[in-house]
Amino acid sequence: MVFHKRRWLVRRLFFNHEQIRTMSRVKRRTTHPPYWHVLKNNQREDEKISSDNLRFVREVIQDKYKNKSPIKGSDLDIEKTVWDPKTKRSGVIARNIGVQHMWEKDGKKVICTVLHVLDNHVVRYVPPEEYAKSVIGTKMFKNRKPLGCLVVGAEAANPDRFTRQYCSLFDEVGLLPKKRLARFIVTPNAALPPCTPLTAGHFVIGQAVDVYGKTIDYGFQGVVKRWGFKGGPASHGATKFHRRGGTIGTGRDKARVWPGQKMPGHMGSERRFNRGLKIVRINMKYNIIYVKGTVPGPTNSIVQIFDTILPRRRFTEAPPHPTYFPPEDGTLPQEDIWDSSLHVFGSPSISV
Amino acid sequence: MLRRAVLQTFRQGLAQSFFKRYAVSLTETTVTHQPIETSNEAGERSVPTQKTGDESRNTVVVAPPEFRFMYPEFLPDPAMETRNRLREKLERMDMLQRRSVIEIPEFYTGSIMAVTVADANSPNKFARFVGICIQRGGSGLRAWFILRNVVDKQGVEILYEMYCPLIQKIEVLRLERRLDESLLYLRDALPEYSTFPLDMEPERRLNNSVVPINPLKVKLRPRPWLERWERQNLQGVEDLNLPQRFYDKAEKVAKPWEKYDLMLHYRKTIPAEEQEKIFAEIHSQLQQQELKRKLRRRRGPDNEQ
Repeated sequence: MVFHKRRWLVRRLFFNHEQIRTMSRVKRRTTHPPYWHVLKNNQREDEKISSDNLRFVREVIQDKYKNKSPIKGSDLDIEKTVWDPKTKRSGVIARNIGVQHMWEKDGKKVICTVLHVLDNHVVRYVPPEEYAKSVIGTKMFKNRKPLGCLVVGAEAANPDRFTRQYCSLFDEVGLLPKKRLARFIVTPNAALPPCTPLTAGHFVIGQAVDVYGKTIDYGFQGVVKRWGFKGGPASHGATKFHRRGGTIGTGRDKARVWPGQKMPGHMGSERRFNRGLKIVRINMKYNIIYVKGTVPGPTNSIVQIFDTILPRRRFTEAPPHPTYFPPEDGTLPQEDIWDSSLHVFGSPSISV
Repeated sequence: MLRRAVLQTFRQGLAQSFFKRYAVSLTETTVTHQPIETSNEAGERSVPTQKTGDESRNTVVVAPPEFRFMYPEFLPDPAMETRNRLREKLERMDMLQRRSVIEIPEFYTGSIMAVTVADANSPNKFARFVGICIQRGGSGLRAWFILRNVVDKQGVEILYEMYCPLIQKIEVLRLERRLDESLLYLRDALPEYSTFPLDMEPERRLNNSVVPINPLKVKLRPRPWLERWERQNLQGVEDLNLPQRFYDKAEKVAKPWEKYDLMLHYRKTIPAEEQEKIFAEIHSQLQQQELKRKLRRRRGPDNEQ
């Protein structure tokens, strides 16, 4: 949100008590990616390849990626950086796989969203000086100290379905091309080398996270659903006025429809953050995070999880910095970690 | 997809086992033949391999088809928008964990049950309620059932979530079925049909392999009712004795084509192949839990701690 002092003053002086106008001229959603992105999906016609040739193509792909497989975190040379409260760590790409009900130790039911952390790998780290020169970087760090950018990819897929330019983004690193890419703004001390895997262990039980996603797409909706208007009476002689908006302006001063007037239109499919959600359970075997509350978007949609920016719920102790790495002696971590407030299902029934 | 042939054979198999198990009515005198004993253990089916010339056989453990009725909450919600195999699998694991702590017995709508719940406001911190199960629903950890009883001439219904950790004990005092899947009409019935003594003792079953169907026809109070019962094809209700216009309107409003709508039923149920997979997954664990409980019961309350 751009915050202009003059505009704020103007709004306070000419405050319209009937409706708050938002910045209606700003485009809220686009269906195309930015112009600097490379073409991603391969638009091939039905190529009539024989089964032998198809098999050969698959062998070539396997050979290409076999030797350059993503290595474990412990083999990478990571600078031993120190965590401080101002550190911004990387986030993680996950899929919202649904909602599960759990119970707290006093018997209170809690709705938890189940987030499946996909096979995240770091693709690239862009240092702050370089990132500040990019299109988004200039806007973001106009009057701020620039930060670095970690490009993370998730969900490896068959290179056949992507264009060559898109696959080349991953070629230097030796990763199979990923279906989803995301950028996470990090401080330089939280930088990670390419090919680093990010798992559910990146987060700590009990920490608060912000989850970013695109809300459910409701399509073209009327004012009652979209803006919560009351509509009209259901009976008592109301003629064709049950779910309409009613008046859209006054006749007197500024006798026109104000910009930002609430009307029917496209609802949903917008970028939103749900902030401060507490992690109540982590399953290390399946890479699952259970988060207390709900996240934006429908089931099976992709979301991004970050450490929270809310000041009172931020980290006071060091989390796995810069990310979690499995122990070098080969001991497996605890498979299912529960928050102390939750009732574990295998434990005896609660007696109040 | 809709593998009709497999679906049909599965359905036939289900129907046969269903009728074997449940077709005996309470009135023992009318029973002339002995019901065929269905095996409660796993049916070990030998599946021959596809390889030609290979005579080796794989045994696939398959859960008995009755599981679909005994444990309906293990099947996920059929709505495709919210389905995810991984989450359903994790939920099933949690359900089995809970079942290892408390016995959630087999019950149906029409069974009389007693539930003990931890309650902070009760004198001895536990509240026990006895009632008839009038409805059950939900899938996974959200599975619930409603018990109804009439206490001091006041009808009381309580909805219990089956996997809530506050529940200490679920007992089935009388295991039986009724002619309908939902007994919500008991709200409009005479109170004696919903009254059960709160100190009712569990009844012993004569025949363990068959769940009896109680063919009781309930008498409703005079109108007004909470719902239009004449439109709902209820089997367990006595003749409603309504004026003909009610039945005429019911006919107008009825949707008799729905029973022929294959896609509607397909969308409302989980495909047979998936059901088999799900129950095969949980079958062994449920069996182990059952065995442990039987051993504990045999050892007696002295060894229980």
